Amino acid sequence: MANVAKKVSWSGRDRDDDEDGRAGETTPLLNGTGPGAAGSGRQLTPSSFLRIGQLSNVDLNEDIHELETEVPRPRPNEIPHNEKLLSLKYESLDYDNSENQLFLEEERRINHAAFRTVEIKRWVICAMIGILTGLVACFIDIVVENLAGLKYRVVKDNIDKFTAKGGLSFSLLLWATLNASVVMVGSLIVAFIEPVAAGSGIPQIKCYLNGVKIPHVVRLKTLVIKVCGVILSVVGGLAVGKEGPMIHSGSVIAAGISQGRSTSLKRDFKIFEYFRRDTEKRDFVSAGAAAGVSAAFGAPVGGVLFSLEEGASFWNQFLTWRIFFASMISTFTLNSVLSVYHGNAWDLSSPGLINFGRFDSEKMGYTIQEIPIFIFMGVVGGILGALFNALNYWLTMFRIRYIHRPCLQVVEAMLVAAVTATVGFVMIYCSRDCQPIQGSSVAYPLQLFCADGEYNSMATAFFNTPEKSVVNLFHDPPGSYNPMTLGMFTLMYFFLACWTYGLTVSAGVFIPSLLIGAAWGRLFGISLSYLTKGSIWADPGKYALMGAAAQLGGIVRMTLSLTVIMMEATGNVTYGFPIMLVLMTAKIVGDYFVEGLYDMHIQLQSVPFLHWEAPVTSHSLTAREVMSTPVTCLRRIERVGTVVDILSDTSSNHNGFPVVESNPDTTQVAGLRGLILRSQLIVLLKHKVFVERANLSVVQRRLKLKDFRDAYPRFPPIQSIHVSQDERECMIDLSEFMNPSPYTVPQEASLPRVFKLFRALGLRHLVVVDNRNEVVGMVTRKDLARYRLGKEGLEELSLAQT
Amino acid sequence: LTGCLGRRARPVRLCQGCHGHYRRLLAQYDSIARAVGNSSESHNCAKSILTSDRLQIVVTLSEFFNETWEAANCANCLKNNSEGLSNSTEEFLDLFNKSLTCFEHNLQGQAIDLSPNNYTEVCKNCNETYTKLNDLYNHLQRMNRQGGESAHSAHLCIDVEDAMNITRKLWSRTFNCSLPCSDTVPVIAVSSFILFLPIVFYLSSFLHSKQKKRILILPKRIQSNANLVNIQEKYS
Repeated sequence: MANVAKKVSWSGRDRDDDEDGRAGETTPLLNGTGPGAAGSGRQLTPSSFLRIGQLSNVDLNEDIHELETEVPRPRPNEIPHNEKLLSLKYESLDYDNSENQLFLEEERRINHAAFRTVEIKRWVICAMIGILTGLVACFIDIVVENLAGLKYRVVKDNIDKFTAKGGLSFSLLLWATLNASVVMVGSLIVAFIEPVAAGSGIPQIKCYLNGVKIPHVVRLKTLVIKVCGVILSVVGGLAVGKEGPMIHSGSVIAAGISQGRSTSLKRDFKIFEYFRRDTEKRDFVSAGAAAGVSAAFGAPVGGVLFSLEEGASFWNQFLTWRIFFASMISTFTLNSVLSVYHGNAWDLSSPGLINFGRFDSEKMGYTIQEIPIFIFMGVVGGILGALFNALNYWLTMFRIRYIHRPCLQVVEAMLVAAVTATVGFVMIYCSRDCQPIQGSSVAYPLQLFCADGEYNSMATAFFNTPEKSVVNLFHDPPGSYNPMTLGMFTLMYFFLACWTYGLTVSAGVFIPSLLIGAAWGRLFGISLSYLTKGSIWADPGKYALMGAAAQLGGIVRMTLSLTVIMMEATGNVTYGFPIMLVLMTAKIVGDYFVEGLYDMHIQLQSVPFLHWEAPVTSHSLTAREVMSTPVTCLRRIERVGTVVDILSDTSSNHNGFPVVESNPDTTQVAGLRGLILRSQLIVLLKHKVFVERANLSVVQRRLKLKDFRDAYPRFPPIQSIHVSQDERECMIDLSEFMNPSPYTVPQEASLPRVFKLFRALGLRHLVVVDNRNEVVGMVTRKDLARYRLGKEGLEELSLAQT
Repeated sequence: LTGCLGRRARPVRLCQGCHGHYRRLLAQYDSIARAVGNSSESHNCAKSILTSDRLQIVVTLSEFFNETWEAANCANCLKNNSEGLSNSTEEFLDLFNKSLTCFEHNLQGQAIDLSPNNYTEVCKNCNETYTKLNDLYNHLQRMNRQGGESAHSAHLCIDVEDAMNITRKLWSRTFNCSLPCSDTVPVIAVSSFILFLPIVFYLSSFLHSKQKKRILILPKRIQSNANLVNIQEKYS
């Protein structure tokens, strides 16, 4: 056979396989009774794998099917969770349009003008995404400000009262209890109602834009829980920020609006039906993420670049422009609503949730001599960031293994809240760093043991929301903090933030990182001016900014978008260069030790994430070694019973099925004809589109693309579809619904090539065929994602049920 | 006005002492700028005084006075038409003087031996006045913050602020009166209790909670077992 001759490089076993396969093909296989016996006879030889693989495209009888799945599987192998796993929970999104006949018909029907309406609708949706994201950001900001203000006032009054009389332990208890109870509510709703709302949401959105379907990630319920959770955890005084979750919120808003309905509320507004598929939804989600960033930091360009950096494998110019539009609208909305709220309407000077304040070029300019110092700060940031990530890695591993019950998670969150309050209180209590009150620059001045008219400067750092503390560190005049205070604060906050990230509360890591960085950066600046005897580089605020950038870069390892975000948030373009240098150094140094926090969490959650490129040393692998085989195929005209059985087989929860020619002769091979998805099959079964029925009732309307869209994105499970015994004997014609031109690769294609195709096109299934167009195997996301560059070369991850 | 400002710089009595001068200055400047009617000649007259030379001394001076006045926030202590001190300010100054005299009175007896711990008597006797003064100040501040929203009116006028500063400094630094009782032991007890809780929690969940196991699933693949070996071989 030419087939074998070409592939001499294969192992010797291959030849046997092929011969076996040929033997199989020559047997007449109509109903599969024959090979059932044959298969059972030879099932123990390893080669039976491939043989059945080649058979199965002709023969899909269920007992064979069971044989091939049951026999080779040993007893379930249980191992503790580790980072080298891929979860079966996650599936790909269908970014590739199923270009079946229905789709082509519809596209042909749409004329030029209709396409233009679609385009206009896209712009309208982007504007709405921007507006709603901005409004949600306002809501969060205002509620947090008021609730946190209330809390701090109560605690402050209490402390003031007890400072005179004694009994400060009661204030401590009050503070800790307040924090713990607020966080308890926040954690309860996250742990019990929507666990996917935990954390900052950036890893989840990153996965979504990468093409992984994370269950529940873009639902309305998630949005509600996320918003409430963020408010509660910030008010609860945890070491968290509300900026990261904004990105998630923006994405959910985008996904919701672009569909024109909410399945949670069971409302369908009958608009934007054209966008009800994964491809369109992804575009809007990237716009939503950008709008979220821009609302959080007041950085529209940074938001666009964030989307570019995280979801950039699919990109085009018009989309970029639309995303930019959405970001601008979002920051403008936030700006105008907040300006009205703060009483100076149309002032438009508070563009983001966090505002770094104004950095004057004259006062805070930098000189060329300072560049090496900034780079050194980048190195420090990288090392500290790596330390943060490594600590958080161990903690998260522990949490996944041992603290997986929701009640335990809630208790843990409460404990962290109480400890955060306690640490803050003890630090304030022990600090003797008193500073005179300067007007009203301090929101909640705590006097404690300071002289009248002075306040405790440790309290400005701890007794405040983290955003305010960051701004204070940037802008308080030199001498507001003494080095001891800053050092202790950095140390404590570092551990608190590290401990907090990964709790079951929705909260971001941006602000805590900025705060840690700002604290040690300021410390650095102060000591520098001590060393140089108070020379030109007097202002420590500048160093606080650089430290913040370095720390954030060291933890999250974003480069381009983070530079622009920081630049836009400071509103000073001249800082762009040093910030870029600092972030670059921090990333290089940090990557030397461990990877970024978000990537780490993606890995720990066993998500099949595809990076930019295939692992560098993977050229030796071919599609043949990568693919899954045997493949469960369907014939073009298939028995309904077979379809139902395949779909309801829990052991092989496949989503795409190659469709092969239905009635092969004994001589003719069954070539690949198309690809059909599980969701499509389910819709077909639900509407009972059977050949017999079509003949019986001519009046029955033809299935349209709309029926598929209406079912999107929550297709009912196969169990909910009832198929009677009679109907099982019907036939179903798939040729109209399958995608007749699926992407295929030959067996010899190398892994990087397959990877490139997969990543660039956003595929979900890639069929591997031999040179007779027969289905040999199937490459899915998990087959590719399991190869990863580890410490010693290429390593392979194993699949696991989670 | 310059003389007045200079004379009352320390201790700060600007607003009390100089508001009359300031008012007269304002009136004078006004009359220059907007002299008799709006006729073009008088306009010229204003021009010749205000903007005819490079130095423009009159304008600069008047700007300087205005700025000083603003920075001192004197408007906050004066009545609306800046004719005199407002009621609350006078009340405050009354109390201030009272506490000062109280301090002096009590100090006279022991003026000779100034060892730092001997001020207890002052503290005891003047506590009432001082607390009243402090409360009044805080009250004024709060009123002020509620009244004016914009940034600069958040301060009280400099006279009041300075007076309060001096008193506070005397009270807590020189006399060491505001000695809050430090209850370190209960605070340490409570905080160590709270800090102890997570350790208990983590230990107990480590010991008692069942470790979550993942079920490995063997992929359907050619040479599934030999795959890794293959890779390694191809490396070498």
